Amino acid sequence: MSIREQDVLRRAGEASVLVLVSLAGGPKHGYALIQDIRQFAGVELGPGTLYGALDRLERLGLIEPLPAEERRHPYRITAPGSAALRVHLDSLERVSAAGRLRLQPGGT
Amino acid sequence: MSAREAGNGKLIDAALRCYPGRWRRRHGAEAAELAALLIADGTPAASIAWSYLAGAAREWLAPRPGRPLSTVAAALLAATCLLGLSAALIAESVPARAAGTTQSPSGPVPPRIKPAPPGAASISPHQLTPCRPVPHARSC
Repeated sequence: MSIREQDVLRRAGEASVLVLVSLAGGPKHGYALIQDIRQFAGVELGPGTLYGALDRLERLGLIEPLPAEERRHPYRITAPGSAALRVHLDSLERVSAAGRLRLQPGGT
Repeated sequence: MSAREAGNGKLIDAALRCYPGRWRRRHGAEAAELAALLIADGTPAASIAWSYLAGAAREWLAPRPGRPLSTVAAALLAATCLLGLSAALIAESVPARAAGTTQSPSGPVPPRIKPAPPGAASISPHQLTPCRPVPHARSC
């Protein structure tokens, strides 16, 4: 299987990646996720987009819900989720390195 | 609770009601609380409602294991039919309205009537108008 095929997050969308990165720092519920993503990425994730990403990631088995705290449902990243995030970030890093190289004067 | 807060609450409730029941049972209470927290932070209620509306549309249209593609296709077809119906109603009302109310900026153009020869019976301008607006007529 190629690296691209291993990258299950490739087509999951930016919001899913941001949610997974946030959950890699520890379990969080919706409001904490939105605040954390705003802080580390500067992205204002809409609540509709957030729940869509949470449902998608849960269906893929990349995150799992924890017991509810009153109305709030915290989520945590699973082992396959951590692996998928690592593969995706490696892939982004390669693209980023290639881009930076080519942007240098005389880069090809 | 101020009238503004009550209005915001109604707006968010209306947007959340657009989600499927299964989604509302699972996320509804938390989503309403999340919206209240975001509004308290200064996020406009309309922006939150819009995000929920878009999320609800995605939720209805996304294929699920328990929801066959035919359901999704039926939802799309229903949406297309509604859009088509609306467009047809608008298209039907526009020419009739145009015929009934549209006037040139300089006022109504009088029909071209040759001066009647002396002694001829007078003719009503309406009788010479080539196209008269008729109630419920679509066009001439």
